Amino acid sequence: MSTAVYVPSRIKSRIRMLLPWLLLVVLAVLPIAGLTPNLIRLFFITFVWVTTSLGWNLLGGFTGQVSFGFAVFYGLGAYTAALMIDRGVNPYLSFLAAGLVPGLASFLIGLPTFRLRGPYFAIATIGVSEATRVIMNNLEITGGASGYRIMEHVPFRQVEHYYTALGMAALAVAASLLIVHSKFGMALRAIKQDEEAAADLGVNPYANKLAIHAVAAIFTGVAGGVFARYAAFINPQGVFAFQTSVYILLMPVIGGIGTVWGAVLGGVVFGMVEEQLVANFPQIHLLLYGALLILIILVEPDGIAGLLGKIFRRLRIPGRKDDGADSGSRKADEVLRRTAGG
Amino acid sequence: MTFFDFLNLLIAALLLAGIYAVMSVGMTVIYGVMKIVNLAHAGFMMMGAYFAFELNERLHLDPILAALLAFPFFFLVGIATHWLLVRWLPHSDRPTLQSLLLMFGIWLVLQNIGYLVWGNTDRSIFTPRTLSVIDLGPITISTLRLVVFVAAVGCMVVLEIALSRTWFGRSVRALIQNRYAGRIVGVDDEKTARLTFGMGIAFAGVAGALLATLYSFDPDFGRPFLLRAFVIIVLGGLESVSGVALGALVLALVETFSILVVPAAYQPAISFALLVVVLVVLPGGIASLWAKRRRLA
Repeated sequence: MSTAVYVPSRIKSRIRMLLPWLLLVVLAVLPIAGLTPNLIRLFFITFVWVTTSLGWNLLGGFTGQVSFGFAVFYGLGAYTAALMIDRGVNPYLSFLAAGLVPGLASFLIGLPTFRLRGPYFAIATIGVSEATRVIMNNLEITGGASGYRIMEHVPFRQVEHYYTALGMAALAVAASLLIVHSKFGMALRAIKQDEEAAADLGVNPYANKLAIHAVAAIFTGVAGGVFARYAAFINPQGVFAFQTSVYILLMPVIGGIGTVWGAVLGGVVFGMVEEQLVANFPQIHLLLYGALLILIILVEPDGIAGLLGKIFRRLRIPGRKDDGADSGSRKADEVLRRTAGG
Repeated sequence: MTFFDFLNLLIAALLLAGIYAVMSVGMTVIYGVMKIVNLAHAGFMMMGAYFAFELNERLHLDPILAALLAFPFFFLVGIATHWLLVRWLPHSDRPTLQSLLLMFGIWLVLQNIGYLVWGNTDRSIFTPRTLSVIDLGPITISTLRLVVFVAAVGCMVVLEIALSRTWFGRSVRALIQNRYAGRIVGVDDEKTARLTFGMGIAFAGVAGALLATLYSFDPDFGRPFLLRAFVIIVLGGLESVSGVALGALVLALVETFSILVVPAAYQPAISFALLVVVLVVLPGGIASLWAKRRRLA
């Protein structure tokens, strides 16, 4: 017999809706409560990673299009913001541009590859990141391979960067949730499950994939721009590195592919662990990531979120069965089944 | 450009095409049978390069001989990889998110094992053959490239015979055409997939070992070649072994002659540009120009 206290599900869902807001308030108060500069930096990086993780997840997790080239968008965003801030443009305006440029660039990859079924997109993304880094290494205006230093003629205030990144991550979460629970999000999941069936039901896979690719690129680009302003120095081997693409792909996979909070979780775990790993195992941290990727795919494809879900279900916490973003995908399945099955 | 310059470039392109074909064919058979895009191909190529390097360094073995030894060695490695990891993937008749990510993970692991064992210094294999050339008047041919070409063509011929004359080859071709129909007529798809994976990895190892004699390499060796291999496969129509030879030739020609117009620094971008052009103009590969696809689907 379950001994859990009876809580009406309406109140429970209300509590669940309040949790993200609570989290946001706590994060907003933290710097005032006295966070060491080092911790603020760690949080800042984590927010940046969370944003990119959410972006990749929209395309990879919800739409099923694996991209190995998100470093392109991250780098383009970083360079756009860097060039504009350096010329005295308002930083926040620059961040907008940092989203816009990768958003447009995403069409260059998407237009030729999304039309076709098959693995074309995934492989093309490897090629794009390769080609982009080569070009950036040789481009005069950005200083080529030696990188680009951003001169901003205002005093450096770390807290401002913290709030910028926090706001960006919060917006990314909100936008992801809105997309996922909209008709657009349902179309994306339908494409992931069966592209042809989705097309038969009146979903245009080509247009939808292009659109979500652009959205994901915007997320990643803005994150790159925010990071560039903080770092004040960027170079192609850094932001355009293959490693960056690996990181961006790894986070949602760790956290849980295809759920908004899973992607957030992955970004947080990665942001917190990454520096420790790089510091302690500089030689083998990518090796560890690769092994982790293999392990997750074969053992727990739903990542940490899936694992937690299983544990909660095992512990029989009532109401956990259809929770959060999970219920969204299940609802979509249901609708699909009903419409497709007749 | 004189006629002989042109001829020299043409010969260089042809010799390059041979090794390109060997490099891509392993990916094609694995994709055809299992519908898995083997991103780890790059990692196994890198391992093949170091395999030849170590044999040459320690046992003073001829690198071409080492490349031949790489075939059985990497065949076993491939079978072990399949048995350990790949066979647990859910079956599908199209590339899945899981398979892409798994192969990517294997590649990451291989690459970083490479960094761990050999560090990130550039290595190369140097033999007396490396700098010798065959002089035919105005035409010069690098001996090494010729030898590599002969070895590569030998590999392709052996593969062609294996595919067309053996029962294993028949079941491979059956599964490439239609996995379900193949199973209905009694093809053991699990066993065929295992052997195919082993063969694909074996070709990656051989190609890596052969390439190692031509270029210097580090643990990131396979990456530029992975994209090239994929362009070749797309040119060839994704699932056809004979298409690979054609695709390899086209890419080799484009790369060789583009040196005349494109700065060398931008060379890696060429295969990508070619990929985009092919996807837009000829998504079915070159073969679709004169052949209707027999498969309905």
